[in-house]
Amino acid sequence: MPEQPNPEQDPITTKSYAAYYLVAMVILMATLFWALWDEAWVQRPWKAFQEQWKDRYSAFLNTARSKSATSETDVEKNPDYAALKQAYDKTYQDSKAQAAEARAAVDEVTARLLAVQTVFTDRRAYVNALSYEIETSTSASSKASKQKELADYKKEQATVEFPDGSKKKYTFPELEETYNQIRDERTKKSLELGDVLKPVTAAKAKMDEYISDHMVDLTPQQIDGLKKKTGEWDPKIVQINVAEANIVDRCESCHLNAREPLKISPASMMAKGEKKPDDYADAFVSHPEPELLGIHDPEKFGCSPCHQGNGRATTSMEKAHGNYEHWLWPLFPKENAQAGCQNCHAADMVLVSGDVQWQTINNGKDLFRQRGCMGCHRYEGYDKEPEDLNSIGQQLKQIETQKKDNLKQTAYLMKQADAAESNEEANRLNAHAVDLRVANSKLDGRLQQLDYQSHSLMQDMKKVGPNLKDVRLKLNKNWIPVWLKKPSDFRPTTKMPNFRLTDHQIQAISAYIWQSGFTDALPQRKPGNAAHGKELFETRGCLACHSIGEGDQLQGGTFAANLSRVGEKANYDYLVRWIHNARERTRPYCPYEKKDIGPEDYAKKGLPYQFDLDHSQCPNDGHELQVQNMTVMPSLRLAPEDAEDIATYLMTQKKQEPSSYADAAYMDDPTLKDEGKKWVRHFGCGGCHEIAGMEDEGRIGTELTYEGSKPIERLDFALFTTTAQRGGKDAEPITDKEDLARLPDGPATEPWYDQKGFFEHKLAEPNVYDKGKIKGELDASRMPNLHLTKEQVLDLTTFLMGSEETSLPGSYQYKPGDARHDIQEGWWIIKKYNCMGCHQFIPGQQTILMGLKQYQDIQEQLPPKLLTEGARVDPEWLRKFLSNPALSTTDTNRNGVRPYLKVRMPTFSFSDNELRKLVRFFQALSQQPLPYIPEQVPVLSAKESDMARSLFSSTAAPCLKCHATGDPAHDKIATAPNFLLAKERLKPDWVERWITDPQAVSPGTSMPSGLFKQQNNQWVFAGPTPPSFQGYEGDHRKLLTDYIFQLTPEEQRKVASAMPHAKAALLLPKSNRKQAVVESHQAASGGSR
Amino acid sequence: MDWRQLWEICSAPDNVPIVGLIPLLGFYIYLAWRQAHANDQLIEQLEGDAALAKTHHRKTWPFKPGWQKEVHVWPFLLRIEFLAAIIVTIILMVWSITLNAPLEEPANPNLTMNPAKAPWYFLGLQEMLVYFDPWIAGVVMPTMIIIGLMVIPYIDTNPLGSGYYTWKQRRFSIGTFLFGFIILWVAMIIIGTFIRGPGWQWFWPGQTWDHNRLIYEVNRDLPDIFGITSNMAKAVFGALVVGGYYLLGGFLVYSLFRRYMGKDFKRMSLLQFSLTQFLLLTMVALPLKMGLRLLWHIKYVWITPWFNV
Repeated sequence: MPEQPNPEQDPITTKSYAAYYLVAMVILMATLFWALWDEAWVQRPWKAFQEQWKDRYSAFLNTARSKSATSETDVEKNPDYAALKQAYDKTYQDSKAQAAEARAAVDEVTARLLAVQTVFTDRRAYVNALSYEIETSTSASSKASKQKELADYKKEQATVEFPDGSKKKYTFPELEETYNQIRDERTKKSLELGDVLKPVTAAKAKMDEYISDHMVDLTPQQIDGLKKKTGEWDPKIVQINVAEANIVDRCESCHLNAREPLKISPASMMAKGEKKPDDYADAFVSHPEPELLGIHDPEKFGCSPCHQGNGRATTSMEKAHGNYEHWLWPLFPKENAQAGCQNCHAADMVLVSGDVQWQTINNGKDLFRQRGCMGCHRYEGYDKEPEDLNSIGQQLKQIETQKKDNLKQTAYLMKQADAAESNEEANRLNAHAVDLRVANSKLDGRLQQLDYQSHSLMQDMKKVGPNLKDVRLKLNKNWIPVWLKKPSDFRPTTKMPNFRLTDHQIQAISAYIWQSGFTDALPQRKPGNAAHGKELFETRGCLACHSIGEGDQLQGGTFAANLSRVGEKANYDYLVRWIHNARERTRPYCPYEKKDIGPEDYAKKGLPYQFDLDHSQCPNDGHELQVQNMTVMPSLRLAPEDAEDIATYLMTQKKQEPSSYADAAYMDDPTLKDEGKKWVRHFGCGGCHEIAGMEDEGRIGTELTYEGSKPIERLDFALFTTTAQRGGKDAEPITDKEDLARLPDGPATEPWYDQKGFFEHKLAEPNVYDKGKIKGELDASRMPNLHLTKEQVLDLTTFLMGSEETSLPGSYQYKPGDARHDIQEGWWIIKKYNCMGCHQFIPGQQTILMGLKQYQDIQEQLPPKLLTEGARVDPEWLRKFLSNPALSTTDTNRNGVRPYLKVRMPTFSFSDNELRKLVRFFQALSQQPLPYIPEQVPVLSAKESDMARSLFSSTAAPCLKCHATGDPAHDKIATAPNFLLAKERLKPDWVERWITDPQAVSPGTSMPSGLFKQQNNQWVFAGPTPPSFQGYEGDHRKLLTDYIFQLTPEEQRKVASAMPHAKAALLLPKSNRKQAVVESHQAASGGSR
Repeated sequence: MDWRQLWEICSAPDNVPIVGLIPLLGFYIYLAWRQAHANDQLIEQLEGDAALAKTHHRKTWPFKPGWQKEVHVWPFLLRIEFLAAIIVTIILMVWSITLNAPLEEPANPNLTMNPAKAPWYFLGLQEMLVYFDPWIAGVVMPTMIIIGLMVIPYIDTNPLGSGYYTWKQRRFSIGTFLFGFIILWVAMIIIGTFIRGPGWQWFWPGQTWDHNRLIYEVNRDLPDIFGITSNMAKAVFGALVVGGYYLLGGFLVYSLFRRYMGKDFKRMSLLQFSLTQFLLLTMVALPLKMGLRLLWHIKYVWITPWFNV
């Protein structure tokens, strides 16, 4: 193109972009460096953690090292150690020369081996490669040629230059042989060296062992090991990978000390010159419960199955802890950490490891049950009986119908047969009829089984609240509306929650309950002695479950009702019956007919009006009746007069006169009854109470088994959704002061839009999410206010947070098939009946009675500790005892085993089902095998009997001084069970352990220790022995045990009468008695302890 | 005014490009307009100068004397493209460092998200589903959009305005484009992103997205307003209304074209013109239908057993 003069510059061709390019490139380079920095550090924050950790942990180890060295020096100063050291030095000197020689031999052989090895491995590699080619070559000719090549190669000679300078030539087979020879030679020489050094290493090991045994912390050597590891640390992701359970946990990339063998607190990991532990220091602590890690090996369990959070994430703390909206299983906050237990331990009622009880989750489980949550909310495993009974009821109905159909069919077939045309036809029809009859008899068997099952189930089924069918017999009528208004006003500790009822609802509900109650007459009781009643109340063990007094004055257990104002509400006659036997029902209930059976039903069949556990068949249909009140309150086997006394005492417990309650005449208004029924059903009263017409009401609440994994969108925060999501100063919707005080963390300021926040607010103020909403009476939240404390809200929240549908495989669930399953099942019953109110099951566990003032000085009056009960008693005996603790059918107003205890082991009327579970529980808890086959106790010869008797009645250990003998005068001061029970009750090997060291079995027992001492591998009596023992080789302990197991009443009487009565103990005041017994023991046993 | 809600919407990684889209759109329209304006002025100047007009093509192009009418790709085009590539690289790198992919929890078929929004480029289609049958909004309309785009070279016979920005030489094309792009595409995306909240309800920017919000809104069909009940009558009525729209609209377009774009009109064949007219009317129908729905709660105009419009 010919160039034309350009009058004006072309804007495209003349423009320069250099400046743009320069700027763009500078920015691009900057971005590139930013990307690299981001990649290396920002996306890998754990690197910073590891750098910090290296510095801080090394510093910490240095301090620990010097401390450890000091304490090691202390240990080394011990003469035992010096002796060990001396022994070590001596062996070392002795073997020195020999060891040097052996070592030289090994070195020489090793050098030769090395020389051959270099040549040999090289040639072997070639041979192997060639062999592989032969194996894989496809044509015969190439195979042949290569084989030839291999053979030639093997024949070729290779030169080996030995360390002494000599050279030798070997073909391949020779080389191989030489190599193997030298190798064997070296093994031999090494073994020889080992033999020479053996005493030295043994002595050294003993020294090290002595040090590590006698040091509380790690030894300097161990710390040096840790120091070395820390010093050589390269930044890397630390990961636990369990393919089986799809666990990938990289938590330890930052929490580097989680599994360190030392106890590391945040304070010890502070950076130099800092005053408060920062985030790094908090992250570098060791796991606070190393024992739990021992049970749950992190290599199998990882971290997230218990703690949750996003184990895979490494890009930030929020991501790793799962604290962002798209991670559905965020880390459990510290205070709710025990929620993680529930994931796998939902089937456990009590979580114990060693002697540590995991109280938060245990209390949560307990509260869920005790407070009657399961009356409205289904939860897998809780309160199964009604469901089981329901299904049995349905089966019963079905079988009954089938039976009827079969009978009809049989009659029809018989008739057909009569009219049949041929003989064969008639026979066929008849045979069919017979078959149907057989089928019916089979069905009868099934019916019996089902009835038997429902007998047990009905015994096991308990309600949290009292039976309201008895309301007319039991309560002050005018008190009822006052109570319903706000139960916690009358009794602050009550389980009955506040339903926020309107006055009209209260009137209707009380009218329904009143009018649907039984009107049967109660026997009139005469008033008793209140002072005696008070004493009985305080000593019989009522306080293990019940409390009395309010505020600071309150003492006793929280398991059952506080009785401080019971005089205002109760009817005396009913109270007597209740105290005498709470299970006694006014009328039995037939679940099959769904009605209460009265005397008229029995009269119709001409049967006596008698119903109890042995007479539990319905007169109308023959199925099982509910013959007990569904309460866990047991019978204390009191004399009727005693029951009267206690009732009289309780009736004095009031703040105002029952007559001062405003008259509630409307409760008799029949027009209110129907409305009342509607409200009783609406509020699900039948979940906790037995109410006429409500026996089969379903649960009104939502199922909570998997509530913790319910998507947050399904939890209705109503008008507070936005405030909960955003936090800030208006974040707290609860304004009521009392309810605010229930929030574990106080009023919310941070966002609380999560499961934890929802549960806490709901539990603190159940209708909080109704706030600001326009709702009708029937739409408003029905959940009542359980007036929980802060701690209880925390416990229940933790329990609910852990109630999740877990993604872990089934094998991670704690569902053992062995004896541990018995323990699991047993705890449910132990907790159900509050056994822990009186008995100790776990070392260190406090019972309610232990905490009472009156037992502080008379510890021996406390119920026995059951720490080793399974090892102590014969399971068959235990079953008998549990079903009848009086161990007698006539003389029941006493304790069967420990008549000397004022506190009474009650009769719980356990079902066969629960008896079996309890017996198995105790056996399993003490690691006893089942079935138990009693050990044969050898029959003692006359001479042995004499010797044993002399031990038994020895003045150094006068057994019968404390143990009951059946002599009423003596038993008054006895503090231990009668020996005559031993044969049936105890296990001999346990008795041996017991008499050796009772304190080890049951700490605090008044049974003296040190009665026996060890001599020549035999346990011999510590006190003076009569001459007949001269030359006796046997074990004294065993001798005494055998004697006790053969003790007869006559023998016991004989020994007892020969003994001087321990009058001194009798005359001493109660509080000093225990001391006296111990002293007399000490005096008697000649100070051998 | 709920600023936090607004911030949550704007800062969601999904929505950041849409927030970016708004200023960028303004910027590029301004840029194009500035250049178009300069060219238009130049063209006017060239056309006014008889001598200059001669040296140029008979159709006036905005080139000053001495300006090259054609330049080489290398380096003149590629250097700009490379610069653009560098800038895009920078933007992508900064974006990928600062904003993570919006990964969410595993899908739960029992609990779907609310609002469930399509990716930004499909928000227009999703918005159309509010106003039309899925079949119309999901199949017919997209097909027509694609076909419409494909026929542009065959119905747009204007040789001017190729290779440079201009407004005066292509008023109708550019106007139609802007209508289609801004109203039918960008506006729908913006509605889908900022306006549509839980339950696909209409939330003004700054209104809190309350999942529990209840509103009273009853939609009716156009025949219902006129008291037409039988299906047959509804179908006929709807056909009349829709047919009437195309007829009256067609007449309007015809008269406007003849009056304001006589030159173009003359150049077009009957097929070209009727196609243009049909596509234009269909385009305009969408915002009209939206208006009917949003302002007067009219759900459908034409109801047949097979489809509803």
